[in-house]
Amino acid sequence: MSHIHVDVEHLSFAYEKNTPILKDITFHAHENDAIGIVGANGAGKSTLLKLLVGLDMRFEGSIRVEEIPLSNETLAKVREKIGYVFQDSDAQLFMTTVEEDVAFAPRNYGLPEDEVQRRVDKALDKVHIEQLRKKPIYKMSGGEKKLASIATILSMTPDVILMDEPSVALDPKNRRNLIHVLNEFDHLKMIASHDLDFILDTCNRVILIDHGEIIADGEAREILTNEELLEAHGLELPLSLYGR
Amino acid sequence: MNHIHPLVKLLLNLYYITLAVSFHRYDVEGLLAMFIYPVACFIIGELSLRDALHRLRVVLPVVCIVGVFNPIFDHTVVGYVGGVAIWGGVVSMITLMLKGILTVFATYILIATTSIEGICYALRLLHVPKMIVTQILLIYRYITVLLAETKRITQAYALRAPGQKGIHYKAWGPLVGQLLLRTMDRADDLYESMLLRGFNGEFPQGKPKRQSAGDVIYLLFWVILLFILRTYPVLTLIGGLFV
Amino acid sequence: MHMADALIVPAVAGTMYVASTLAAGKSVKEVRLENDTKKIPLMGVMGAFVFATQMINFTIPGTGSSGHLCGGMMLSALLGPYAGFLTMIGVLLVQCLFFADGGLLALGCNVWNMAFYGCFVGALLIWRPIMKKGASKGKIILASMLGCILTLQLGAFSVCLETLISGVTELPFSVFVMTMQPIHLAIGAVEGLITSAVLVFIHEARPELLWGTEGTAEGKLTFKNTLVVLGVLAAAIGGILSLFASSFPDGLEWSIARITGDTELEAAGGAYDVFASIQDKTSFLPDYAFPGSESAAGTTVSGLVGALIVVGVCVGASYLFKFFKNSKKEAVNE
Repeated sequence: MSHIHVDVEHLSFAYEKNTPILKDITFHAHENDAIGIVGANGAGKSTLLKLLVGLDMRFEGSIRVEEIPLSNETLAKVREKIGYVFQDSDAQLFMTTVEEDVAFAPRNYGLPEDEVQRRVDKALDKVHIEQLRKKPIYKMSGGEKKLASIATILSMTPDVILMDEPSVALDPKNRRNLIHVLNEFDHLKMIASHDLDFILDTCNRVILIDHGEIIADGEAREILTNEELLEAHGLELPLSLYGR
Repeated sequence: MNHIHPLVKLLLNLYYITLAVSFHRYDVEGLLAMFIYPVACFIIGELSLRDALHRLRVVLPVVCIVGVFNPIFDHTVVGYVGGVAIWGGVVSMITLMLKGILTVFATYILIATTSIEGICYALRLLHVPKMIVTQILLIYRYITVLLAETKRITQAYALRAPGQKGIHYKAWGPLVGQLLLRTMDRADDLYESMLLRGFNGEFPQGKPKRQSAGDVIYLLFWVILLFILRTYPVLTLIGGLFV
Repeated sequence: MHMADALIVPAVAGTMYVASTLAAGKSVKEVRLENDTKKIPLMGVMGAFVFATQMINFTIPGTGSSGHLCGGMMLSALLGPYAGFLTMIGVLLVQCLFFADGGLLALGCNVWNMAFYGCFVGALLIWRPIMKKGASKGKIILASMLGCILTLQLGAFSVCLETLISGVTELPFSVFVMTMQPIHLAIGAVEGLITSAVLVFIHEARPELLWGTEGTAEGKLTFKNTLVVLGVLAAAIGGILSLFASSFPDGLEWSIARITGDTELEAAGGAYDVFASIQDKTSFLPDYAFPGSESAAGTTVSGLVGALIVVGVCVGASYLFKFFKNSKKEAVNE
């Protein structure tokens, strides 16, 4: 893999003219980054991630993925490089079984069936749910669905993985398992969450957003231990850091 | 049973139902002979008779309501049992119920031994438009999701409206409307998630399944046997050898 | 209103399949022309939505009973006639395959009776003309009520025709029709009320979601006028129906009312009771089956003996087959 990077410059976005959602966002993400995008509810975290995969093209500024500028013409190319895991697994998993769902993207890209199967095997193996292959999705638990959602992205062999609130509605055991799985990946990761403990366990870099603006961008531990900064922007210290 | 090609099972199901409903309305014997197919499938496929009977609860009442008037109107005497005249209406009511049972059993056999993907694959082979097949897959997938959501919303309603049997008419619009809006928002998410994975209007087709010689033999065996049962009064003929 | 496989003969099933297939082909073509890929997931999820709402009990004011939703009219008001029709086909297919409601053979009939009228007639002939100059609360109620009642009447009438042509019931046509239509008038009215309540809510919350309401000028139809129109309509239909109803024998009317009158409108319990009572009435047969062996009874005995032998052979053969299959499996496992 050559130099994987995502460059965002002067990105602004608004649904309606006078109520901007994102204001002049600039950051550069590199190969070994695992970036936690943190902020209170409504800060603009999810919107930022959705813009990166081109789900709304009405933005100003520039987004480049591995030097390809995001535009209507390059959309398909960019989306092959970036995988996006939705907060709601039920929106992500729309086929009837895990196997079918994981095979959806490679089949859409017109790969031959044996290559599709190879990719499915590999994706399931990476998140350790090989045993769930034939399971109907409606019978799966929240934790299983989350892992399956990630597998549906991995089968596209993306270089970058974006995740929106991955730890929501997971019990402690599933949450731990997810952290373990994510830390095994060598992808460039960007995780939007207000679960700061989760970010602390999975990310080395944190971008703090409030009211659509970047407030801080730096080493994860440094930002997440700065109680004053966090509280000024509607967040609280990660629980695991209390009493230390 | 599960390994038989889904198209074979689908076609056989249609063939069987067509034959079963085509029996004359006084032909109880012929219909009884048709039980061979479900009986054999239930034993070989180790299917649950209880589940199949459970499925009858939807169809049988409807069939009965239509058939129950036959004894009132049709007093044609078609035979005597122990000196009591049997009306054609009674017989036709029985055949109607038998048809109801046979057709539901046949469909149950299809469903119990074939996956949803298998059925959709068979429908595709029959040139049912992809758009419709995709609907089946999506509906099947989201029934449970939306039922859970409906349950939550009606339970939340019931907790705040003790003693009410259903949903008060004043809440019809907002309650179902909210559910509808949420459903449409979900469809938006779903669409985005499909787009991100290369969706361009049609669902990709999965791996093709090979038809084996066994499938053909299985199909031919039943087609011929059922045809014979439909054409000849087999039960009477066999019984006649012994009586 | 689902037709069961058992209620039709293959010729009727085939004819209706052809008719429904033509309508489906037209719809697929139209939806493709719209070239809106977003509709595909929307249709699927809306189909599931129809299922989910069918499980809700709606209390009908002043009666103590409850109604349910069938959904054709609502779907086409949101998706348009073509996408709505295809969604209904999906719903009916899933109902027939996974819930044993209807059957594969009767599918053509069911699609026609429930989806075609609801979507094509309901959307194109009622909803669109009424909404031509923009939607309003009154117009939505009018279109929903009219649409649901009329399309259910057409559907019920088709059920009568299909059943009678199939010759499975001895019920005189007029009696069957006079039973089916009033019941479905009530069902249609309830469905219309629920549909209008939901659509009015959508109109207030997200008006852009309603199909065929692009017109901007607010219509002249007020809420009050709508009620008047509806009242006149109901009175007219009621009058015609009672005119018909008074012209057939009392005893029969009573028996039909007793058997069908309260089954469809009430919960599943009603249908169960009817089923049980029918079983009671037919259970006299076994008691009389043994003695005597004259003429017709002779062939019956042969038939019975034959049946026993065939069942015996069949069951035996099946078990043998299974035995060999399993032993083969074990051999492979070892």
